[in-house]
Amino acid sequence: MNERRKPVLTGGCQCGAVRYVLYAPPHNPHVCHCRMCQKAFGAAYAPLANSAAADFAWTRGTPGTWMSSPVGQRSFCATCGTPLAVSDTDGATITFSIGSLDDPSAVVPEKAFGTESKVAWADAVADLPGETTESDTPPERMALYRSRQHPDHDTDSWPPK
Amino acid sequence: MNETRKPVLTGGCQCGAVRYALYRTPANPHICHCRMCQKAVGGPFAAYAAIMERDFAWTRGEPASFESSTIVTRGFCRDCGTPLLFRFAGDRWLGFTLASLDDPEQVVPTQAVGLESRLSWFEGLHDLPHSRADEELTPERAAAMASHQHPDHDTDTWLLR
Repeated sequence: MNERRKPVLTGGCQCGAVRYVLYAPPHNPHVCHCRMCQKAFGAAYAPLANSAAADFAWTRGTPGTWMSSPVGQRSFCATCGTPLAVSDTDGATITFSIGSLDDPSAVVPEKAFGTESKVAWADAVADLPGETTESDTPPERMALYRSRQHPDHDTDSWPPK
Repeated sequence: MNETRKPVLTGGCQCGAVRYALYRTPANPHICHCRMCQKAVGGPFAAYAAIMERDFAWTRGEPASFESSTIVTRGFCRDCGTPLLFRFAGDRWLGFTLASLDDPEQVVPTQAVGLESRLSWFEGLHDLPHSRADEELTPERAAAMASHQHPDHDTDTWLLR
């Protein structure tokens, strides 16, 4: 790559086959409750933010794509499935998934969209009783656990040899 | 299929290549904030419920899978990316994503796990200013947005886009 700009944010899929970079702070951070985003993310809603296409680059691999409508292309990792982006056919803007950022706490949603499809339980999940992964997982299972997830930073090569 | 039981719940991916049926009410509906689930769904948390293998069937297609750790396999649609499945190695139970159900209101999460990775902005999400899709889109854009998404019910045949 001949890119000389410094990354503002980086991210990628769970397995590490696809990585991306933003060279400018994103705008319009939001969550989308629409039924299309629910399905694309398999989740109650999708956290998204916009980047000008000129300030966004795929730095490792290329995502799989599917046209969810005549004007919307969804991008996901074809190897592990992580939902990564939705973009317009005009190509000017890339709307990426905040959860795929290396630091998803760095971009805070400021608006909710598509609330006509908001699931009734979406707000109540904030008040659920909760546990940590370690307290919820039997020790014998934890002992076998080794993550294969890509680390939350860029790597020169992946997976480890 | 020789299945004679009547499905209790049905669901599938965004494009319709993968469809599934549950023949019993699922157990343990929950959300998981862990960093692995965040990456797998590209969001702040994943929502799953558990079903015994014998009470679950793929009724169209089958998901692609990724071993996100030594003990967990995740399933997703290879054509459109929708996250569908979570399964511990050797377990007779499998977890499916609640929002991939045809009616995601039917199964309500009652517990939260993976609190060690809960995002700082998660609790503020339900207080965001909001709008519906029809308020946000221009009429021209709404007209262009004919959905390619599979409808929220089983279909005898489906043309993949």
